[in-house]
Amino acid sequence: MNIIVCIKQVPDSTQVKVDPKTGTLVRAGVPSILNPYDHFALERALDIKAKTGAKVTVLSMGPAQATAVLRLALALGADEGVLLSDRAFAGSDTWATSYALATAVKKIGQYDLILCGQMAIDGDTAQTGPGIAFHLGIPQITFCESIDANGNQIVVKKLIEGGHQILEADLPVLVTMTMPHDYVAKYPSFMAAHKAQDKVTHTWTAADIGADPHKLGLEGSPTRVDRIFPPPARQKGEMFSGSAVELADKFVEILKKESVIK
Amino acid sequence: MAKNDLTTRNLMLDSLKQYAKNRISFNLIREHDAKNEIPLDILKEMYDHNVLGVHLLLIPEEYGGLGGQTTEIYRVCEQLARIDLGIATGVFATFLGSDPINVGGTPEQKAKWFQKIAHENKLVAYGATEADAGSDLVSLRTRAEHVIKDGKVVGYKITGSKMWISNGGVADIYTVLALAPGGPSWFIVEKGTPGFTQDVHEDKHGIRLSNTAGLAFDDVYVPAENLIGLKEGQGFLQAQAVFGYTRLMVAAFGLGGGEEAVETALQYAQQRIQAGGPLAEKQGFMLKLITPHYVRFEAARAYIDWTAKQLEVNNHGLATEGAIAKLYATESGNKAAEDAIQAMGGFGYTKEFSVEKIKRDVKITCIYEGTSEVLEMTIFRGRWQEHLKSRGQYYLNQAAEFDAIHAQNPNVGADSVALGFRALARVLDECRANKLTRHQYVTFMLGDLISEMEVAAVFTRQCANKVVTEGSRFDINSLCTMARVNARQSAFKTASDGLRLILGTCPTINTAELSQGVNLVGIEDKMRGLIDDMDVVSAKLREIFKK
Repeated sequence: MNIIVCIKQVPDSTQVKVDPKTGTLVRAGVPSILNPYDHFALERALDIKAKTGAKVTVLSMGPAQATAVLRLALALGADEGVLLSDRAFAGSDTWATSYALATAVKKIGQYDLILCGQMAIDGDTAQTGPGIAFHLGIPQITFCESIDANGNQIVVKKLIEGGHQILEADLPVLVTMTMPHDYVAKYPSFMAAHKAQDKVTHTWTAADIGADPHKLGLEGSPTRVDRIFPPPARQKGEMFSGSAVELADKFVEILKKESVIK
Repeated sequence: MAKNDLTTRNLMLDSLKQYAKNRISFNLIREHDAKNEIPLDILKEMYDHNVLGVHLLLIPEEYGGLGGQTTEIYRVCEQLARIDLGIATGVFATFLGSDPINVGGTPEQKAKWFQKIAHENKLVAYGATEADAGSDLVSLRTRAEHVIKDGKVVGYKITGSKMWISNGGVADIYTVLALAPGGPSWFIVEKGTPGFTQDVHEDKHGIRLSNTAGLAFDDVYVPAENLIGLKEGQGFLQAQAVFGYTRLMVAAFGLGGGEEAVETALQYAQQRIQAGGPLAEKQGFMLKLITPHYVRFEAARAYIDWTAKQLEVNNHGLATEGAIAKLYATESGNKAAEDAIQAMGGFGYTKEFSVEKIKRDVKITCIYEGTSEVLEMTIFRGRWQEHLKSRGQYYLNQAAEFDAIHAQNPNVGADSVALGFRALARVLDECRANKLTRHQYVTFMLGDLISEMEVAAVFTRQCANKVVTEGSRFDINSLCTMARVNARQSAFKTASDGLRLILGTCPTINTAELSQGVNLVGIEDKMRGLIDDMDVVSAKLREIFKK
């Protein structure tokens, strides 16, 4: 069984702030981490590897520094890493990114299962995983909390409004994983970090994967980020006191004043 | 297997940070601090190969370790110190305790003991200090007598005592310095050896999560194969061979402890509203209590890293550089922790916040592995020789180097470094001409001034070369601003303290002439723009440590 896990390096969101004047992200001195959803997805892939002996390849797109998250994945037990790194990828939105990743998956060749985090914490779009499935023309199951693999099938527990679904799927399939709120990410021992240096990491350009340059970067991206801004601070509420009838009258009066009701 | 690259080092540090975040809460630290207790389960877990295996860094690869380079070991030490200096000391004691084996052990001894330490996760302690032999090991009293069988030395009987031994009460393996018939020698003594006992744990001012105990040896028999290197009289050489290295690690402790304290204070100051705004927005607050410390931290980081890289090439030695790194970084860390309490006011003075504990902890870094005063003396001796040998040219040559750097990079404070080196050369020469080094105080202070200038020089040179030291959170432009601030202040300190020393010990010298000789006015003139530069650094700090 061959598993490909798509991972992304993101700024540690707990430390990123938006500059209210310029509308840009203040990233000075902010450390980068492996997107927590991807971290969770990777650990699930490694569980399947432990059970079935599957081969786990990790795939990422980003600048050379993104090697750090591949190294983390290799230290945790992934077998091989692939980094897509090329100026041609810069400015790609989720559509162009998923095209590039899907093209790389095709170059990797053999795959049965593709695992992605549900979304990246720096964009919150949850579009890249589904985009990859579309470009590859394979089925997808999103928002899964757990996954188990048996032979040519997987069983997942998918989070839905008000409950869960247990789904079975044939391979190949793409699954996006969501993580429990109390998830504690696993980190490698010093020795595992040391040994991961000797594992293979390929760095591929757009030309290496045979991607159509018009479908990459800004040119290949139908969406544009207009601006980024912090949400406006919540306004202070107004408190009223009085009997139930008085309060109800007051409430109706305000709703009328605000044109919520007539 | 390849040496660890930067990505691997950062990954190890991430693992360590995450482990601490999940397992070593401030509450756990506080409780153990109050109870004066070592968290032995945490220490053992940190040694667990599947969790961290932090001790494997010090074990050469051929014996199942990671063969850690100086750079990753100092960076791990810095991070450990940010977590807790007591825990850091516990880990470091194993590093230190293994050093005599590393430096002097035979291949068979290394194979036997390193494999034990690596695979059985043994804690190690370094037994050198005695009641009358602290920094001055020559007064060593613990003895190792020959045990002779069939005319051959088959073992030793060790008698004596050691004090203030880190991990003293909890280690499994001890490396012990004792006076053998052939001179001072290191021996390996295992816990449980008959006649070997450990005293109760000391009640210390700080690093209370580290076990510190005395050791008593009453006719303790060790086989001859436990004599490190199988040759007597190598003890001092083996101890001194690693001073440059071990002191660099304690320098990283001072840096890490100081950084943790000031960062805590700075984050607090971004939220604490006083007189209409956050404290961190107030110039006086920042320039007095926060900003100067970051300048010194970055200077210390540049110097520690530079020394580490030299040690990786030279393997051993660099005793003067190790002493400079430790003196500068630990004194800076200690003062920074003091100011962190001041910056947090009443909160800082309570045990609810970590800075009070850090202040107690970090003080030890100015004491163990050579007190600041012993280091000042070491630094003075090392460079005084260079000054004399070069007939006063040692620092003048370096001044010329910094003139050239300034011509290329006018924004890194190289002009001030050049002025500072010239002032230092003049001060040293006055001391020589007037025999002022007969005053011990003068030698201490000269050691301090030498350290101040050499650190400033390395920091400025690194900035001129556009080197951002690994682990730094600043961009190169901010570092250049810091280097300018630092170089000015170091040059001024050198000139003004130099004047004070010479005039204070030699009243016949002409004040105006000497003042001109060290070019005090020239150095003062460089102060233009100093406060503006410091304001720029403050703004950067608010951006990086934004809460």
